[in-house]
Amino acid sequence: MFFFHLREALRSFRHHRGLATTAIVALTAVLTLAGLFLVLDYNAQVALQFIGDRREMVVYLKDDVTEIQRNALIQRLAQLYGTATYVSKDDAWHEFTLQVGDPQLLEAVDQNPLPSSLRVHLRAELLNAPAMAAAAKQVQQFPEVEDVRYGAEWVRRLDDLNSGLRRGALTAGAAVGLLAILIIYNTIRLTVLARRHPIEIMSRLGATDAFVARPFVIEALIEALIAAALALGILFGAQEAVASQWLTSVVFIPWTWAVAFAGATLALAWLAATLALSRVLRAVGA
Amino acid sequence: MITFDQVSKRFGERVALDSVSWNMNEGECVVFLGHSGAGKTTVLRLITHETLPTTGRVVVGTFQGSRLTRRQRALLRRTLGIIYEDFRLLGDRTVFENVALAVRIAGHFRDDEVIPRVLYALDEVGLKGVQAAYPHELSAGEKQRAAIARAIVNRPAVILADEPTGALEPQSARDVLTLLQKIHLEGAALLLVTTRREVAEVLPGRVIELREGCVISDEERGGAPRVRAARAPGESDASMEA
Repeated sequence: MFFFHLREALRSFRHHRGLATTAIVALTAVLTLAGLFLVLDYNAQVALQFIGDRREMVVYLKDDVTEIQRNALIQRLAQLYGTATYVSKDDAWHEFTLQVGDPQLLEAVDQNPLPSSLRVHLRAELLNAPAMAAAAKQVQQFPEVEDVRYGAEWVRRLDDLNSGLRRGALTAGAAVGLLAILIIYNTIRLTVLARRHPIEIMSRLGATDAFVARPFVIEALIEALIAAALALGILFGAQEAVASQWLTSVVFIPWTWAVAFAGATLALAWLAATLALSRVLRAVGA
Repeated sequence: MITFDQVSKRFGERVALDSVSWNMNEGECVVFLGHSGAGKTTVLRLITHETLPTTGRVVVGTFQGSRLTRRQRALLRRTLGIIYEDFRLLGDRTVFENVALAVRIAGHFRDDEVIPRVLYALDEVGLKGVQAAYPHELSAGEKQRAAIARAIVNRPAVILADEPTGALEPQSARDVLTLLQKIHLEGAALLLVTTRREVAEVLPGRVIELREGCVISDEERGGAPRVRAARAPGESDASMEA
């Protein structure tokens, strides 16, 4: 029976080529816009991940900390927060002189004032402002620790930027989803009205609403699938062009995202077609 | 099988049927005769549940009550085979596909059962040779025979025919009536509405005459009248007797 309904859907598709093509073009445009936000969001995530990976917490040690105490602390930090690397007073001074560049400027400093420290490369789940603040507060409680720094303001801004992008993508996705529903809803409604006569005949022959509706739902799914494939194709082409000409770091969304994108489009198409048919069939099928 | 109990139907101020009662048994043949606007098609539309009675009760088989769900209404229509004056074939399908559609809608048959069933029905109406033709390639008589094939393909208990010869030239009309008689003799109940007395005279069974929404006679062909019904509004006793 599925193949019968599929044939019916293709027949309707052929008969209303103009309407179907218009729907596919409009849907492709809307989905391309949605996909563009998706690609931007994904690239922003990749960039933020890269930046986030460089976030670290610097734990300054007291001068009287012994090597045994320091090693014990490194082990505990590794268990709780992430990999810790020891930077001795001399290493810190060396880094500082490299940063300053001109040794004459440091001639007046007769004694190394820099403390030794541990640089903690935090685990992924701790790479956000609240978690980092909580971790810093806990580490501060260790007796060997003089002070903890992690660039609180910078981390907070990074988090704000990340959540702003996510909100933008979600808002755009919702708006575009609504547009897609409207396009499919109206296309199916117009198709049903254009096929009013055959539907009336089927209804008089005893066809249930489900029997009449199935080909239209399949037709909507076909249109949505074509539009989603076209939108993904356009976006992939655009990404390739941008990556080869200007920004090599721009990447396309992973295939799991692409499948989810197509799946979400199909779900929207099913929803819109079902809504349209539940209303219009009552008016048409007497 | 089909019962109308004091059924009235009004469309605004206009009375299409006025307190009409009649019934039809399994395998019976009933012809509704009357001029245009007498209420014949309203009778059919009430049976198929395309419209509801204003008052009274319509019973079709096990379906009764004025408010069937859409699903029940679909089930009711599947127990009927309907033939229209204007054929109502789907122009974008072949004769075979038109008939097969009714089988698909009935939903009782597997895919491999559809083809022999349709071919058998087409053979019965003499259209096996034109199964691949589209309706616009057929004559009016052939279109009506295709519509009859579609109506009988699921072996319904009742065939409803709404002026089936109305659009046909005399020879095709005779052929169609002969075919309907044959189907009736094979066991299906036949309810036919027509404006033509000669059509009513060809078919066996009862003739119910309608005038302005009222049953004015209900006669068994070749027998005594079953009902001497109320006269039409405004009609005198003298005109009834005449």
